[in-house]
Amino acid sequence: MKSTPAIATAALLLLGLAACGGTDAAETAEAPPAKSIILITPNPVGTNSFLQLGVKGAEAAAKELGASFKLYESKDPTSIAQNVDAAVRAKPTVIVGISFSFDDVFTTVPKANPGQQFLQVDSCAKEQAPNLACVSFKEHEAAYLAGVEAGLLSKSGQIGVVAALDTPFIHRWIEPFFAGATSVKPAAQGTPLYVGGSNPFSDPARAKSQAQTLTGRGVDLIAAAASGGNPGVFEAVAASGGKAFGVDVNQCALSPGNVVDNVLKHVDVAEHAAIKEIFDGRTGGVKVYGLAEGGVGVNALGDDLASSGCTVAASPDVVAKVKQTRDDIFAGKITVADPLQS
Amino acid sequence: MNVFEWSFLAGVLTATAPVLLAALGGLLCQVAGVFNIALEGQLLWGAFVAVVVSDLTGSAWTGVAGAVAATVVFSALLSGPAVALRADPIVVAVGLNLLALGLTAFLMRQIFGSGGTYSSPELAGLPDLGELGLDVPVLREQSPLVPVALLLVAVLAFWLTRTRSGLRLRAVGQHLDAAQAVGLRVSGYQHGVTLVAGALCGLAGAQLSLGNVTLFSEGMSAGRGWIAVVAVMLSGVYPGRLLLACLLFGVAEAFGFRLQGAGLPQQAADAAPYVITLAALVLAAVARRRRRSYEHA
Repeated sequence: MKSTPAIATAALLLLGLAACGGTDAAETAEAPPAKSIILITPNPVGTNSFLQLGVKGAEAAAKELGASFKLYESKDPTSIAQNVDAAVRAKPTVIVGISFSFDDVFTTVPKANPGQQFLQVDSCAKEQAPNLACVSFKEHEAAYLAGVEAGLLSKSGQIGVVAALDTPFIHRWIEPFFAGATSVKPAAQGTPLYVGGSNPFSDPARAKSQAQTLTGRGVDLIAAAASGGNPGVFEAVAASGGKAFGVDVNQCALSPGNVVDNVLKHVDVAEHAAIKEIFDGRTGGVKVYGLAEGGVGVNALGDDLASSGCTVAASPDVVAKVKQTRDDIFAGKITVADPLQS
Repeated sequence: MNVFEWSFLAGVLTATAPVLLAALGGLLCQVAGVFNIALEGQLLWGAFVAVVVSDLTGSAWTGVAGAVAATVVFSALLSGPAVALRADPIVVAVGLNLLALGLTAFLMRQIFGSGGTYSSPELAGLPDLGELGLDVPVLREQSPLVPVALLLVAVLAFWLTRTRSGLRLRAVGQHLDAAQAVGLRVSGYQHGVTLVAGALCGLAGAQLSLGNVTLFSEGMSAGRGWIAVVAVMLSGVYPGRLLLACLLFGVAEAFGFRLQGAGLPQQAADAAPYVITLAALVLAAVARRRRRSYEHA
């Protein structure tokens, strides 16, 4: 039969969909182990590096704490509620949700289940119940450090940011970046441009056009905060002889020789620590992870800088200045303004 | 700030090229009386295949050829049901658009083992015209498919007005029954243009993923196929007007980028292409109505 592969594929697809639906009825029947963690993602993990880090953090925590670990992947944000229901029925020690997609569900469900501990990573429900803990990040501190590098490395004194959208949260990657640059080069000028359009988080063609608009005006260093559009920014700087900064994870290998450094968010580190605190009984509240807590950073501060592929490794003086700036932030000599607070 | 400079014109051409290529396909279908709104899906499919083939073979031109071939096959999924079986082309096209979105995302994970965006230093992109020896300001950084798109406008205009087969194609679109009565193989013409439209969308996709940038990203067509549909609706069956409509879109997009640089909020700059499209649609409708009222007077 010619159509066998097609039918098989269709069946596999259906199975995949059913699995992602996440009702996991069989799981609920089992007696829960003494300690357990359930992590729910808003989308399939796939190669989403952000979600991969989330899984890594929960796995590491489970290993260290001797707990069992289960991953419920939602096929899209609309199936989150079903997964949370299933997780509540399984009664783990803690239910972890990643991203703002959980804001709604985690407003109501923790109140209805006061005996269950919840953890939300990278956002926090508006009305926070006492049994919901939140992890948020000081992305602006890492962006400031990247800005210091940009200020020192820019030859034209003009830097830019290509961001996905003009929203308050995304400004954490913009103004602090420029502030970092002007702290070492007061004359430095920063210009943000936004990708926008109908697919702002995955439109590399528009991201590249925006980056070209910047390079055309003499900008030689661009921070890419355009998610899936970042490779477009890297292409634009490669063609113009400029350089770019990546975001969230190490993107230096995506475009060898064209990426200076990255504004890193160590979701795994923060999540691991937060889960541990909940296991120790320190539940609820908002835990903020900045530079000091190891929640954010840049590759220049990493032990693996030499092998990271980031071009900042070739400028030891810049790395030294970044380290000094970090120490100043630790010591309270520098406070990075948070655009969300102003 | 100098808004109108060479790099602005280059930006206009870059934004226009994929839309224009897809719109030429849409125009052909329009001429033959097939309402083709599957341009978005075919564009995305073409962009995907171009990257896959270029990545496998290391040759951008093989990637272009692969994209054209694969998109012709893909468009047969439209021409089969819509022309041979007389299904509603809108329904079929909506299905194709959704299929392209899902299939590219699915195959991307199977082939590259990763979702989201695929780019690789080894992925061969189309050369710039500057590298090929055509070192003039606006064209220097364009791929060779950009002049091809402009040339195709003239070729199509000539074909539709000066050749026997072109005139027959227009007859098919204007009056199906009359064309059938004089012995034209109507469905043959309609199949043909739908498949050619597929080839043009394949070129458009290749231009987007190997020319504008050198990578594939899920859903990277990002509405360009729909803009092409609008351009076709604006210009009717005239390739010259189609070029103007597509350039208008390119200007709007490039202008939107510049406006942002001049301090206009992103949300407002974002609206520029759509505001201009809407305004053009209204103006075209007004002009058409006025012409009609003269004819009736």
